[in-house]
Amino acid sequence: MQNTSRLALYHYWVAFATFLPAVVLGAWQMLMRSPLPAPLDDPSAYYVSVTLHGSVMAYVVTTFFAMGFGYAVTATSLERPIRGGAAAWIGFAICLLGTAIVAVIVLAGRASVLYTFYPPLLASAWYYLGALLLFGGSMIWVVLMIYNMAAWKRDNPGKPVPLPMFAITATALLWAWSASGTIIELLGLLLPAALGLTTQIDAGLARTLFSVTLHSIVYFWLMPAYIAFYTLVPQAAGGRLYSDMMGRLTFIMFLVFSLPVGMHHLFADPEHGAGLKFIQSFLTFFVALPTLLTVFSICASLEIAGRARGGRGLLGWIAGLPWKEPMVLAVGLSLVMLGLGGFGGLINMSYAMNSMIHNTSWVTAHFHLIFGGAVVIMYFAIAYEMWPRITGKPLRSKTLACVQLWLWFVGMIVTTIPWHITGLMGQPRRVAVFDYRDPFVASMGPLVVVSVVGGVIMLISAIMLIVILVRSQLGERRLEAPLRYALALNPPKTVPASLNGFALWNAVLAVLMLFAYGYPIGQFFVLKSKVPAYEVTRPSTVVGAR
Amino acid sequence: MRRDRETFKVHNPWPTIGWGMLAGVAAVSAVLGFGVLSRYQENGPTLDLWNAICRGLGIGADTAPAAAAQPTLHTPSQIAWTPATLDQIASGNAEHGSAIAMNCAGCHGNGGLSVQTQFPTLAGMDTAVIYKQLDDYRSGKRVSQVMGAMAQALSAQDSADVAAYFATQPGGLPALSGYRIPKSGRSLRESDPGKRLVYAGAPQRGIPPCSACHGPGGFKLGAPALQGQHATYIERQLGEFAQGRRANDIFEQMRAIAKQLTEEEMRALGAFYGIRDSQSAAALTPP
Repeated sequence: MQNTSRLALYHYWVAFATFLPAVVLGAWQMLMRSPLPAPLDDPSAYYVSVTLHGSVMAYVVTTFFAMGFGYAVTATSLERPIRGGAAAWIGFAICLLGTAIVAVIVLAGRASVLYTFYPPLLASAWYYLGALLLFGGSMIWVVLMIYNMAAWKRDNPGKPVPLPMFAITATALLWAWSASGTIIELLGLLLPAALGLTTQIDAGLARTLFSVTLHSIVYFWLMPAYIAFYTLVPQAAGGRLYSDMMGRLTFIMFLVFSLPVGMHHLFADPEHGAGLKFIQSFLTFFVALPTLLTVFSICASLEIAGRARGGRGLLGWIAGLPWKEPMVLAVGLSLVMLGLGGFGGLINMSYAMNSMIHNTSWVTAHFHLIFGGAVVIMYFAIAYEMWPRITGKPLRSKTLACVQLWLWFVGMIVTTIPWHITGLMGQPRRVAVFDYRDPFVASMGPLVVVSVVGGVIMLISAIMLIVILVRSQLGERRLEAPLRYALALNPPKTVPASLNGFALWNAVLAVLMLFAYGYPIGQFFVLKSKVPAYEVTRPSTVVGAR
Repeated sequence: MRRDRETFKVHNPWPTIGWGMLAGVAAVSAVLGFGVLSRYQENGPTLDLWNAICRGLGIGADTAPAAAAQPTLHTPSQIAWTPATLDQIASGNAEHGSAIAMNCAGCHGNGGLSVQTQFPTLAGMDTAVIYKQLDDYRSGKRVSQVMGAMAQALSAQDSADVAAYFATQPGGLPALSGYRIPKSGRSLRESDPGKRLVYAGAPQRGIPPCSACHGPGGFKLGAPALQGQHATYIERQLGEFAQGRRANDIFEQMRAIAKQLTEEEMRALGAFYGIRDSQSAAALTPP
């Protein structure tokens, strides 16, 4: 267990150590966009900052957190040391190297292509290489998760795989499917162009491949939070999981439905027909099924806990819950943000309504609420739950942890509600400077200032997070309680093989992906739609000299 | 348990559920996407099923050429940045170009380092820029008696060769890199009008930042680097774009921008990017 604990802890520390500077960048970006004076008011610095903020938050924090969480879950839920520890460390080192390369090259101003790196804009080849190492290194984790689950099944024939392990394997598979789009884009299009092997690039194909990753990656981020919903929250609340079977179905549905939906990010793109866009818009609505199942399950599990603690009446069980427990508080705040962000998301994915808010700050508000809010607040709670178990050193103060969670929630709400409104007013996202002398733009000014206040609150909260974790780590060792997962109300003795493994669902998903992406990707091999690529920092004399 | 291992057999309940749902979802979404949504057009007749499917796939009937007669096409340039053009430019032979460049030295200086302010420095200028200007002179899209005659004597390959030669000459315009270190005072809050226009533009007039295409920092295909160019030359080109006497910018972006600049702003931009006569004699006289 010692090796696994260290593995998980190292991953968590990388995640949170990169998280704090990325929050600082985010706060500065908001200041830069606002009518208030910002230090270093250079638009090109803004795009450097957005690229780094996005790359770190979307790829580094999440990947490291999910990997660390996966190792911890594997060891604790299977109750045996993780197999392939050496490979896990190699994967960690590869991901860390990729992260370092990305950070250096973005800060050098050679990769201001934002974290979505859409061609024909082209960054330095080092940026793509760093991203490839990060994505590729995490595939070692994917293989280890599948291998550990398979090995456990072989050693325990006929027994149901514990729900946390089943869920983390679903996460790993989801990530493998999701990352495939970007890995193919990097290897097939971006790296050859950045290295100068090709002078033209098919922007439509690149965007389509990236869209495979672009939405499913969000569910990869969400999964650790959902795993905590199902397996940690009921335990922390002092109750039981409402249904183990429903948990399995939810994770299977996330795996199947979160992938063939990414083209709803391309509604305004010219390279795809309306019918194909509609199909993926339609498929996107099915992701609501596992989300609603989860909300139902978790509320039911919490009700069991609340009533067990003496809550009475129709809603009295809510008051009966232990709200001073960080995990319980986090799930409450998380569900509120998930609800608000989710309804915003319904607009984004509707083929017709999307055009009202496409590429406005509404979109930024949506994914900050869902990811920065609902998901990250669960990451905090998971850290607060797991840190003491891994290090044996408890949190110094649960109250401080709860204050940190409240601040994050308030900051996120204060930031994103004004963004929703300015988005509806038409404020574009990813723009460095606004001319507030213009009367129309000026009318957005007060709202933007309010969002800056939210950003400052979140910055304070992020600093508190690090302080709380460091205080715990430096404290004395006096806790040796193993991590326990919530038991189901009726723990399963046997489950159908189809709900104990992923062979069937991978096959279903493969066919669904072929249906949704077969023609959209295949058409580029017939169309002649390549355009010249241009690097953000280098003139084409280099091409000529070559 | 064993029964459930047969993932692809239809008598098995879970695979049946999984494949059945997949087929149902696929069928409903395809019918709605291709059979309903793609049929109705805002300003045209409802399509039949075959045309609706084609339209849903993005190969609709509305992509066919219009039947009505087209007006004569006027283009600001005959250059388009197609792969063929770029390959031609990339194939430039600097050695052959150096022989051609002997004809240029009279005005543009030795090695493209112009000492006379009315002629631009060509050393270090991007290959695509030189190639396009020569083509525009040849086709009369950019008007100049001297340069028109010069360019007509060159083939397309000659243009690529001479472009490759000038692009690699040192001491002139800088390569557009190394300017990415963030610095304060590059936003709309900047008080110096030249600096403000270069780094932040003027959004109310729809003027983008000059640096986005001409550097420092930014770069767009076909746009020359301006730092180290003669200030007088820059001001005169802005004036010519503003009056429409120079009209070979492909998307009319330079005409649209220059039209809205005041004389002071043009001078401020010349001062920001360019070098003045007194500087040029010292800086640009070849050793």
